[in-house]
Amino acid sequence: MAVTVATHERPPFWRNATVLKWAAQLVLVAFLAIVILTLRAQAATNIEDRGITFGTKWLDDPPLISIREGIDLQPDSGARALYAGIVNTLRVSISGILAATILGTIIGVARLSHNWIVNKIATVYIETIRNIPLLVQILFWLAVIQIFPALDEDSVGESLFLVTAKGVSIPWLFPAGGFYQWLVFLIIGAVVAGFVYFRLSRLKEERGGETYAFWWSVVAFVAIAVIGWFIHPVMAFWGPIFDGISSFFGAIPRVLVQILLAAVAVLAGTLWIRRFLESMRTPAGLAKLTDDDWFRMIFVGLMALIGAALFVFLPGISQTILNMVEAFFNFLGAKFSGESVAPLTYTTPAVELRGTGGFAQLSDQALVITPGFFALWVGVTLYTAAFIAEIVRGGILAVNKGQSEAGLAVGLTRAQLLRFVVLPQAFRIVLPPIGNQYLNLFKNTSLGIAVAFPDIVQVGQTIYNQTGQTFPVVILWMAFFLTGSLVLSSIVNYFNRRLKLVER
Amino acid sequence: MAEKKIILPEIEELAPEPPPKGPVVWMKDNLFYSVSSTILTLLGLLIAVLFIRGMVGFILADERKWEAITTNMRLLMVQAYPQEASWRLWLALGIIFVLLGLSLAFWHAGGKAEPRKVGRAVAAAGGFVVFVVLVAPFETNARVFGLIIGGVLIVAGLGAVRLLGERAKEATVPVLLIAAILAGVAVAALWLIQVPVPDPEGGVGESQLAGIATTTSGPWTILYLVTIASYFLGLFLRRVIPERAGRLALVVLWTMAFPIIVLHLARGVEFQNVGQYLTIGVAFAAVGSLIIWFLADPARGELGRGLAGLLLVIAIASWVVSALILIRLMLLLLALFALGGPTFAGGERATRIRYVGVWVGAVVITVYMMLLATGVSLVQTSNETVFGGFFLTWILAIGGIALSFPMGVVLALGRTSTMPIFRLLSTIYIELVRGVPLITWLLVSIVVFPILFPLGVNFVAPAKVTLFIAFFSAAYLAENVRGGLQAISKGQTEAANALGMTTLQRTVFITLPQALRAVIPALVGQVIAIFKDTSLVAIVGLFDILKIGRDIIPTQTQPYNFLGSLRESLLAVAVFYWIFTFIFSRISLQLEERLGVGKR
Amino acid sequence: MQIENAKDIIVCDGVKKWFGDFQALKGVTTTIKEQEVVVVIGPSGSGKSTLIRCINRLEAHQEGSIVVDGIELTNDLRNIEKIRSEVGMVFQQFNLFPHLTVMDNITLAPMWVRKKPRDEAEETGMELLERVGIPEQANKYPGQLSGGQQQRVAIARALAMRPKIMLFDEPTSALDPEMIKEVLDVMKELALSGMTMIVVTHEMGFAREVADRVLFFDYGTIVEDGTPEHFFTNPQHDRTKLFLSQIL
Repeated sequence: MAVTVATHERPPFWRNATVLKWAAQLVLVAFLAIVILTLRAQAATNIEDRGITFGTKWLDDPPLISIREGIDLQPDSGARALYAGIVNTLRVSISGILAATILGTIIGVARLSHNWIVNKIATVYIETIRNIPLLVQILFWLAVIQIFPALDEDSVGESLFLVTAKGVSIPWLFPAGGFYQWLVFLIIGAVVAGFVYFRLSRLKEERGGETYAFWWSVVAFVAIAVIGWFIHPVMAFWGPIFDGISSFFGAIPRVLVQILLAAVAVLAGTLWIRRFLESMRTPAGLAKLTDDDWFRMIFVGLMALIGAALFVFLPGISQTILNMVEAFFNFLGAKFSGESVAPLTYTTPAVELRGTGGFAQLSDQALVITPGFFALWVGVTLYTAAFIAEIVRGGILAVNKGQSEAGLAVGLTRAQLLRFVVLPQAFRIVLPPIGNQYLNLFKNTSLGIAVAFPDIVQVGQTIYNQTGQTFPVVILWMAFFLTGSLVLSSIVNYFNRRLKLVER
Repeated sequence: MAEKKIILPEIEELAPEPPPKGPVVWMKDNLFYSVSSTILTLLGLLIAVLFIRGMVGFILADERKWEAITTNMRLLMVQAYPQEASWRLWLALGIIFVLLGLSLAFWHAGGKAEPRKVGRAVAAAGGFVVFVVLVAPFETNARVFGLIIGGVLIVAGLGAVRLLGERAKEATVPVLLIAAILAGVAVAALWLIQVPVPDPEGGVGESQLAGIATTTSGPWTILYLVTIASYFLGLFLRRVIPERAGRLALVVLWTMAFPIIVLHLARGVEFQNVGQYLTIGVAFAAVGSLIIWFLADPARGELGRGLAGLLLVIAIASWVVSALILIRLMLLLLALFALGGPTFAGGERATRIRYVGVWVGAVVITVYMMLLATGVSLVQTSNETVFGGFFLTWILAIGGIALSFPMGVVLALGRTSTMPIFRLLSTIYIELVRGVPLITWLLVSIVVFPILFPLGVNFVAPAKVTLFIAFFSAAYLAENVRGGLQAISKGQTEAANALGMTTLQRTVFITLPQALRAVIPALVGQVIAIFKDTSLVAIVGLFDILKIGRDIIPTQTQPYNFLGSLRESLLAVAVFYWIFTFIFSRISLQLEERLGVGKR
Repeated sequence: MQIENAKDIIVCDGVKKWFGDFQALKGVTTTIKEQEVVVVIGPSGSGKSTLIRCINRLEAHQEGSIVVDGIELTNDLRNIEKIRSEVGMVFQQFNLFPHLTVMDNITLAPMWVRKKPRDEAEETGMELLERVGIPEQANKYPGQLSGGQQQRVAIARALAMRPKIMLFDEPTSALDPEMIKEVLDVMKELALSGMTMIVVTHEMGFAREVADRVLFFDYGTIVEDGTPEHFFTNPQHDRTKLFLSQIL
């Protein structure tokens, strides 16, 4: 029994597997650091040569741009202009997601239809739309809207629908002077309706029999809304209250808000990470964290720190928030002191002469869908719908065939089968890939730049063309899209998790 | 942008079966089986008729300026590429088609189809033609002509099935033959079909019919014949040389083909600094061979690894100090070869000699590529670059994919690595790139990227954009490849480890081949997505087919007035994109079936 | 027997191994001599597979020492490479490379790890395929073979590296009953040819017939260590008796 080797000999470091692994990783980090530092230094000299300094001043300065549509056509600061762009992006994204989901589901079901011609039409739709670049389609829709009637002086006047080369206009209800007073009644109505629904449902469970909880709650809501329509001026007493709140905020010192907001940012980040870690805790100790988990935690932590730093070092933000809150309550106060006019006004589309030359334009009085919005919205909706249709089809096919047979066996019709058995189950399967498509749609709205739709990318591009602030704008773009993607995927993940829990 | 392909479990489709018992029964089963179905059928028929009528009406309307497309076909395809240099592009296409023919033979492409299905497809096409000419607003002559063609197709298709009887159910028709016939028909059409061109004598908007120029139809015919000939050459070669060697040679040729075609052939390059580069190349080839010969000997042991590591440090350092790009690249390559030496070469004389041979080959290729990249273009155009039109679209797509492929594989390996820093860096890259739309990356490539380099260094716009398309695509590719890597069982890694393979050997021989094979359909999906995404370069000012179709053709007033032809040119552009993406997606489906992905 | 005088080839001393909270090996000490055939038996989860996976460092043990052929298993890259190419391993799930032909499966490691020329590697490969009785399958892919054939290819693949020691991790557990014998026959032949072998298995017949020594594992320790006759006829420990009563 001769063992020739002394035990526990330590290997030299150049042969030690662990040391080598870490060395390789550190070499890469060092390499990346060198590359980044070199590029940064070069960039610094280059921008210096051009006489530009990157900073945040442009966010406060009034930009020399006007935005073609959105909440603010003549923004008074760069930040405001970007904000208007963000709102436009979100408008297209949200309306596009809703429309694409509905259309995609219909086409996906049609794709599986027994009816030959319905089936073929859906197939042709999918194969056409999917195989043509989205940008070509968006430009095509923009070209299509050009063939609608042009506007000239003869077309001045009102009509029910206006489809013109300058956009589509449809009748709309807009809030008017008494709207906010009435809104209070609507809120009261909603609360009462919820209460009615809850009580009647309880009653039904306790005593049996039908109590028509849903219908009674609707009746309650409508009744209060109708009463409120006529007596809404009684709510005018809110006016002075809001004015008071407004002046209270006006008196708060800025430093207090800065400290408070920074603290909230740090606290929110810490709380999120703690809650996340708690949710990963199992009886056997902390579960193994995946890279995604680490990535998420680091991202949230960094964001919280950056947020806190922004609040501390850029007092303008806190001041703006303070001003906004003050202005908001001031605005409410003004709204509530209005005299008794109807809460809503019904408007119909019209064409009017505007500008110095007196060009015929669609009037703002009704809802106007501009050509840019129309092209982008139709484009992303049709395009995403084609992909959603394929996912829905795959999801339905993936639902166990036995389920369909069982449904048919208990006497459901095909429509009922689809509605009650197949779709709910397919929904679970298709949710993650459809969430992916929502993300794609959200990112694809950036193609609005090609049809002069003022989304965040287009506004950002205009700003950096004027100010030369390319880096800051690009960083804001990334922050916006990454945050948007994160929020969207969190929502999808939330539903995904809930659906999975239902399964147990 | 890039959309991920989802693979769902295969379950028998509920879609209608082809008619088993004659058309009437079939119609009753598939169109009118219930009241709601009848309503849907009528509604669907209405939509179909309206759509076809609208479409045909749009195409045939008098005010359509289709001559804007036919006249500008050259512009759409290659933009400002000079006519007298066009032989370069035809030669490039020739290379591609020869390789295509050889590859089809060497990879045993195409299976056999059932005559029954082929016949039915022909008859269905005939039926569609008849339907269209009946419902759409054609002139009487065209209608009669269409009816005859449709009728012939129906009779031929159904007749063939009837004649063959039971034998029609056996798969006997080679798919490649069908493809060749279809391509032949297309080539014949180039000679026979007349297209509208502007009438030089007539007034504004007048057009006349003329044949397609022989400068186009001639070369296409030759290419068609060359492809078929090279297919048969491939069949012959397959018997003469070992299949494995032939396939390897073809892969190398395909890889080389793209840079040679784009940088050398199409650009017509005049080399600069030849003497200097050749000297550096010869020096590196000679000294490097000695170093590698020395280090690849397993007897060197850890000393060898240490020296190779030192070489790597020197190579990295060379990027910080000022040096010729060629020298930096060579040092990096030398370090990599030295590091890989013990793994891929080793003790036997023969394997070491082969390894040194590969090194010399790599040096030759690198010097040649650098000469190409720094050379001056001989082809003179009015534009900043010689590339434009559909040609540019293809360059961007292929270049983007080809560059993104190695990056994506490395990122996927990084993301599945056991080393945390590699994993974290890969994850950050992938999520950052995927979270932001492509158009913002393209804008970055145009406005931010140039700031990072010294004033003397400027990339042409297509190069910048290709690079960023590659960066973008790499993130998506990495996610696809990661799926494949994660599907490989742990046992494969363990078996490789137990056999004493190093991590590098295991990755190259065991994990990557299996992972890539599993994700081929997803990769084709990625190719389709990138092909479509290249259209975004129109926004950042590159003259691809979309930009020409949208911004140039509809604004032409000289020599002909094509104002107002925007919808025509956009439709034409859409058709070009559609044809190729559709073909790609069919190939993807075929591969999916052939590889049995998604089936247990 | 000659084994008495042979030199020690594997020496395990107080080997301990944890997976998280779970301790798989609780101090295993044993010595295996050259040309010895050791069969390891025990209930599932007793740590017997973990031990042989530690011997070629597919798992890293955390305490104690393992010395294989005079080389201690540590984090030392050179030692790990050397030991892996001298210790062959056969897995329960075969783990053949599905994208390579049978011949490529066998020649891959000799060519790239041992740096043998292709011709030589293929010659050896063919000899080994003949030895395991399936030379005609050389150009097929693993997916086209039966389980028993695949396992025999796996044995040939391990032998192609000319290992000094062969480890078998439940080589017959994933096989249909009618294929077990063909694999066991190959293993028997291998044992008779003088190969050092450690076999984790539930095949008691094989243990009785071929083994020089039987180790009985339970709860991460060696409970019983002795010749087959001793083990099957006169076990010392209650746990061994209980185990034998359950399976025999």
